[in-house]
Amino acid sequence: MLEKRLLVVSGKGGVGKSAVAAGLGQLAARKGKRVLLMDMGNSGGLAAHLGTGPLEFDPREVGNGISAMRIVRSDALLEYLTIQLSLRGLNRFGALARAFDALATAAPAIREIVTMGKVLWEVREQHWDLVIADAPPTGQIGSFLRAPTSISELVPTGRIQRQAAWMTHTLKDPSTTHLILVNLAEELPTTETIQTLGWLEENDLVPPPSVLTNRILDDLQTDPAGDGPILEAAVHHRSVYSEQQEWLENLKPDIKLPFLFGLLTPPEVSARVGEILEGVL
Amino acid sequence: MTATILVTGAGGVGKTTVSAAIAVTAARSGLRTLVLTVDPAKRLASALGTANLGYEPQPHTDEPNLWAAMLDASHSWQSVAVRHAEPEVAERLVNNEFFIAASEHFPASQSYAAADQAVTFVEALAWDLVVVDTPPSAGGIDFFTAPAQMADLVGGKLLRWLTGGPLPGRRFLYTRAGKPILRMADSLLGNDLLERVAEFLLDLRTTYDGVANRGRQIEAVFSTSAILVVTTADPAPVAEASRFFRELPGVASDPIAVLFNRTLPGSWIGARPAGTAHPELAENLRRWGAESLRQTDTRTEFAAVNKARVVAIPWMAHPPTDLDSLEALILNSSEFPFTELAITVAP
Repeated sequence: MLEKRLLVVSGKGGVGKSAVAAGLGQLAARKGKRVLLMDMGNSGGLAAHLGTGPLEFDPREVGNGISAMRIVRSDALLEYLTIQLSLRGLNRFGALARAFDALATAAPAIREIVTMGKVLWEVREQHWDLVIADAPPTGQIGSFLRAPTSISELVPTGRIQRQAAWMTHTLKDPSTTHLILVNLAEELPTTETIQTLGWLEENDLVPPPSVLTNRILDDLQTDPAGDGPILEAAVHHRSVYSEQQEWLENLKPDIKLPFLFGLLTPPEVSARVGEILEGVL
Repeated sequence: MTATILVTGAGGVGKTTVSAAIAVTAARSGLRTLVLTVDPAKRLASALGTANLGYEPQPHTDEPNLWAAMLDASHSWQSVAVRHAEPEVAERLVNNEFFIAASEHFPASQSYAAADQAVTFVEALAWDLVVVDTPPSAGGIDFFTAPAQMADLVGGKLLRWLTGGPLPGRRFLYTRAGKPILRMADSLLGNDLLERVAEFLLDLRTTYDGVANRGRQIEAVFSTSAILVVTTADPAPVAEASRFFRELPGVASDPIAVLFNRTLPGSWIGARPAGTAHPELAENLRRWGAESLRQTDTRTEFAAVNKARVVAIPWMAHPPTDLDSLEALILNSSEFPFTELAITVAP
């Protein structure tokens, strides 16, 4: 997985997407890769898991071999227009950028292609060995992955159309791109992940993704006994464990991560996730 | 008079379950209660009395005071067009590719549709209490700012940007070729994209008065609603909940409380098992005790930083699947703000 050029990490909100993205980045950097971590949204989760202040559009080194940035839509739009579409005279026509921004609200594929385009541009420029995108949640990931195709349908000619073609190709290339869906062994995340897998298979926009199920409990080897808290904690553990097993049956993960007890800070969580992934991958 | 509780918070924290639990508790205390939810899990939907929860409120078979319905964001955006535009314009709008795209993607439009539908039920005066499980986008803030954003959208803000000038009339479509900005856009986008977008926006603008008026009615209901924020002790949803307090929308009153879902018993913190206890079970207690301590610290810090009332909702290993277990979720929360929400539970 770390041999790819682009890892896109998605999942239902609250499943630990940013921790997995940050952990993967730290692991790849330990293996000597130059890594760029990109926050495609604005949740601040990635920055927290890297133990750094708010990320900005310009990549900043946040650790040994790891740089990180956040896709700010207005900056990405300007870069898209000036560099990717080689549009000159934007100073004179700053209104064009504003018109595009307006257009992006009515024709949302434009907004998404600007974000997706920035991710794929960083892959194409080859400043990094590995780009890891902390992507929007599964509810929205489809419209991002589909953006190049949507644009082709919406704008059948012109420079945007030609840009969209290489994006579609890069996303589909199994030696370049891999999608990781982070899941929890609970009803709602699992249902949503299964729906997303079905949608992805139907639309054939990226190579087959991996499912990573987070926060899995190990079974207790001893039956609950005693009284008071020790019994309560054992019974609680057993019930959550059996509930999880039911959902693991519904969707068998490619990668499993254990429940991390009592860890305090997001950077500690992502560091642990990185160490565990090293053993799993 | 119908009281309203708006339940907000990040996705994945059990907001829908907590909303349902509050509704069950209120219904059993004698209030005729309607719970509105966006996307319930199957098991929760069946706990609410039907496997296929519909868009029309239905009473629960075992609890006649409890009614439930789903909010359908995509469907009711169409009703905005139908209600506020001339019939032929509405027909053009609902079939327009940009209208369809905007209704699917513009986050405020889905929140607006959900709010519009919820307020319709509040206005019906058929219930004592309406509990709304709000859509989770942007930490719940979207739901409150949606009426203003929608009015902006249809009011021509986009159109002004697009033309770089005052609001144009329809003839703009025929004179735009002379404008260098638009010529350049045409060369990028292909010939008629801007034209199609402008056509759509001009149609949309005819709904402005209707949307703006309705927005004010929705905001009036918001301002008199009780707000509850749901989170777990995990860092991501806690950050979202903090953001809600920081950026509290002007149309919302101060939240009554922040409900920390999936809270472990405080008695596990530092509990010492008997010397004869099995080592694995002792270790298990130690780990869950550490988790419980982390949760307590998070709640305490949240309360201090945001000057908020925090309420612990117990972690049920098995998610509630019937009325009794839903009600138990609330009745087992000792600090639940029953009085503030005017829910009277028999002791």
